[in-house]
Amino acid sequence: MKILFARLCTRGVFALLSFGSLAAGMPGEVESASPDEERARIVHALDRLGYGPRPGEIERIRSNGLENFLFLQLHPEQIDETALEARLVLFDTLRLPSDVLMKDYFAEIKRFIENQRASGNAAGVKRQFGIEIGPGGTKPVTAPAEADKKAQLQEMIRSLPDRLSLRVVGDLQTAKLVRAVESRRQLQEVLVDFWGNHFNIDVSKQQCRVLKPADDQGVIRAHVLGKFRDLLGASAHSPAMLSYLDNNENTTPFEVGAVEQWIRGVMVKRMVGADIKPATGKARMEGGRNENYARELLELHTLGVDGGYTQKDVQEVGRCFTGWGFKGLTGAFEFEARKHDNGEKIVLGQTIPAGGGIRDGERVLDLLAAHPATAHFIALKLCRRLVADQPPASVVERTAAVFRAAGGDLREVVGSILKSPEFWAPEARRAKIKSPFEFAVSAVRALDGHLDFSALPVDGRARRALEGAATLGYAAEVVSTLKPPTLNWSVREMGQSLFAFQAPTGFPEDSQRWVNAGALVGRLNFALALTSAGVADVRTDTRALTGMADADDTEAVLRRVGEALVPSGLSPGTIAVLRKKAMEATSGLVNAAGLAALVLGSPEFQRH
Amino acid sequence: MSLSRRFFLRRGALALASITTQPLWGPLFLRQTALAAAENSRGSRRKTLICLFQRGAADGLSMVVPFGDPNYYRLRKEIALAAPSRGAAGECALDLDGFFGLHPAMESLLPIFREKHAAIVHACGSPNPTRSHFDAQDFMESGVGGSSQAQTGWLNRALAACPEDRAKKTAFRAVAMTSAVPRSLQGEIEPLAIPDLRTFGIGGKTGATGGAGFEGLYESAVGDVLGGAGRESFEALALLRAKADPARYQPAAGVEYPASPFGRQLAQIAQLVKAEIGLQVAFAETGGWDTHANQGSAGGQLAGRLYDFSRSIAALYRDLGDRMADVVILTMSEFGRAAAQNGNAGTDHGHATCFFALGGAVNGGRVLGKWPGLEREQLFEERDLAVTTDFRDLFAEIAQRHLGVTALGRVFPDHAPDPTRFRGLLQA
Repeated sequence: MKILFARLCTRGVFALLSFGSLAAGMPGEVESASPDEERARIVHALDRLGYGPRPGEIERIRSNGLENFLFLQLHPEQIDETALEARLVLFDTLRLPSDVLMKDYFAEIKRFIENQRASGNAAGVKRQFGIEIGPGGTKPVTAPAEADKKAQLQEMIRSLPDRLSLRVVGDLQTAKLVRAVESRRQLQEVLVDFWGNHFNIDVSKQQCRVLKPADDQGVIRAHVLGKFRDLLGASAHSPAMLSYLDNNENTTPFEVGAVEQWIRGVMVKRMVGADIKPATGKARMEGGRNENYARELLELHTLGVDGGYTQKDVQEVGRCFTGWGFKGLTGAFEFEARKHDNGEKIVLGQTIPAGGGIRDGERVLDLLAAHPATAHFIALKLCRRLVADQPPASVVERTAAVFRAAGGDLREVVGSILKSPEFWAPEARRAKIKSPFEFAVSAVRALDGHLDFSALPVDGRARRALEGAATLGYAAEVVSTLKPPTLNWSVREMGQSLFAFQAPTGFPEDSQRWVNAGALVGRLNFALALTSAGVADVRTDTRALTGMADADDTEAVLRRVGEALVPSGLSPGTIAVLRKKAMEATSGLVNAAGLAALVLGSPEFQRH
Repeated sequence: MSLSRRFFLRRGALALASITTQPLWGPLFLRQTALAAAENSRGSRRKTLICLFQRGAADGLSMVVPFGDPNYYRLRKEIALAAPSRGAAGECALDLDGFFGLHPAMESLLPIFREKHAAIVHACGSPNPTRSHFDAQDFMESGVGGSSQAQTGWLNRALAACPEDRAKKTAFRAVAMTSAVPRSLQGEIEPLAIPDLRTFGIGGKTGATGGAGFEGLYESAVGDVLGGAGRESFEALALLRAKADPARYQPAAGVEYPASPFGRQLAQIAQLVKAEIGLQVAFAETGGWDTHANQGSAGGQLAGRLYDFSRSIAALYRDLGDRMADVVILTMSEFGRAAAQNGNAGTDHGHATCFFALGGAVNGGRVLGKWPGLEREQLFEERDLAVTTDFRDLFAEIAQRHLGVTALGRVFPDHAPDPTRFRGLLQA
């Protein structure tokens, strides 16, 4: 703690030096900002660069200085996080190497195949895994009998914690929540969310679920404040991405000999108990091109849909990435020269000479990362996340220019947004609607809540495996009956199944998309649950909200609850509703939890 | 089916009889009163459109098989479906008209087709050549082509353009059984997105608003996008509380919905229709149609999806019974799949697909549209089934003849409406 403080002090000086221009970028000098204005800026920074303030945080930042806070958020490696790291040990599947998880994934398929074979549902297996396990043309059958279902469920519940390739999904989701709620590196968590969404991967697609932890750690977390080219390159090499966007299927037709077919058949049979492609006893050609990754690389990862590429470019980029895949058994990246189309390609007018091998793909990534359309597209998306749904063109253009000048250095790029007057402008405050994830996390933080799994059997391992299974499309009805729900399940019920957005676009960055009448009801329910100990793995203390205020003094309680939960202020309309509610109190004591639920459900709290 | 029409006529006659004592009020009033009386009878004038989106590009050539086209068997050696009676029951296509056959997993729709209340529009799709799911869905849902980036969806604009006498402005006018509002329903009319009616209530009970006092919070948020959503939520909750309890929903006798998410969504749509709370447009979606590998033939991955899809729709149709006189169920998908199978016994992104329409007013029992053929030179870009019916013409026909929209230009602003291009899906 002391060491950290000393480091903070020295860094603080450095921060002031290097951030001299930050203050200049704010509308009006920081020195001249009124205390109210300074407070408003701190609230805005906590709201937009993180998941909202915890009680007491505004005062802490005020005394250490806003610049210091911003500097540290941009240099998260200087923020001590040992306490959080210790808590994350619980999510052991996230540290397992891919090959261990892959093994469990195959065991899961094997178990599934055995069950399905027993119940005669070959079509179900084909539907889930594209594997033929029985004689062809088996008719789809109806659901298993109730008794069988119950027995299966019993068995499932007993073995759940050990089913790593199911639990890994629940661990991914819950660890993301723990980090967002508890981490002091708030901006880093926001950027991880942003880039994880930009390079979206749906864990419910085949083996993506066991490959995603390595992607989350090695691709996204490792590069959110690094160089864009490195981030892009890591993503292109990521087995999870190669699987999600089918690039492991993107090959030039290649010959598979009889012996290789036989070996593969034996291996696969051993792993999953069925043969995927029966050996023919003679060499055959396999594979073919798949443009899925190439298209999304251009449309969603770099240039943007109006970035000036053609269908021909998509095809040529696809050719450049033929042979990029991963080892089927271990999930390790692999470039296979025999699957690569080694001819000459022309991408965006640039000739990529024949014989380049794996360098073809790297050349494409170089071209894309340095392309002005990419600078603009990334700047637009970052500004949409950090400034406003429709960010002013001025800030987008300035950010794009920084992206180009700094060679895609994302720390510089984000830093320049934080220096921009548009970010600090009063219009930017509360301009965005929280996503369900942001809403849930900010509500927990506002109540000074913490995640605590000790009340759940085996520290929540079984529950996380079940929620993982539900994310993959099984057992959702079972999880719905488990009361109270977890924070993760609550977020899903509000419409955001973490790591499981099917389309490569990711969740919408335009926050207005989260507003609709039905969704609001889910938020109100969450507000009620959270303030009445109705979320299984969240511990809050709403009594602390009323603080020193005498619980008999209605106005004092109202003020205290309002300020604590929405420091940027409540509207007169909301205050009137709160007052009415407080007056209803029959016992003479104001129900702070009821008031807190109202505030969390208010229009003001839906914004940040 | 005929019941409700008879009912309408009788109520209309009653209305006429009851005002003959006031002849001075003139023919306009007379007509309006007759209409109003009809409105009061069981939903006989108000129409409902149920749109079902197959996301991921469903293979039209497998759903409705052109077994009469020999090229089909040349292009799809492993995954083609045998012509009717060319295989065991359940293994071959079900004959529709001697040229097209229904996928055997979709058998549950066959009786409805034979009763002439289901029609298929084949080789239907988008004129845009994109093979991007997102671009194509965007076009189909916004109903506006190019990169115009229309912010609103065609269904919302169609509702906004509905004549007053067809519209009952309730919170349930436009409902999506999804957690976010789909592009099709975005726009000026506030849509509801409810992934599951059973949890649509505050404090756990359907329709409940609890004693928490949330209502007041959104009454005062005027001019805020959240305020609109909030007021709409509470109106919807109140309506639902009064009219329907999804936990206790009993479908019509003999109707069983599949125990799948899609089956549940359709059961809840049926419940909303029966609750008579002003549902005009309902939307549900289903995924898993992007069958790049091992799509199977009579059995397999695609068959499993089609089995769930068609049984859910058939259950909805049967459940609504006589009410189908005023309901159209329309299926859609952003594009179809390549005419030829690929190296992985699957199909890549293609162009045209087929759309199903069911309803009492549907000119059913027919496969509509012009068949473009599967010869190499007949294929779009020499690889995909060509589009001979622009999806906007199909949507426009339904908007006009079912929902009563006359100002089609407001719904499809960059596609001049032209009833001569309508396929005659609905009685004019």
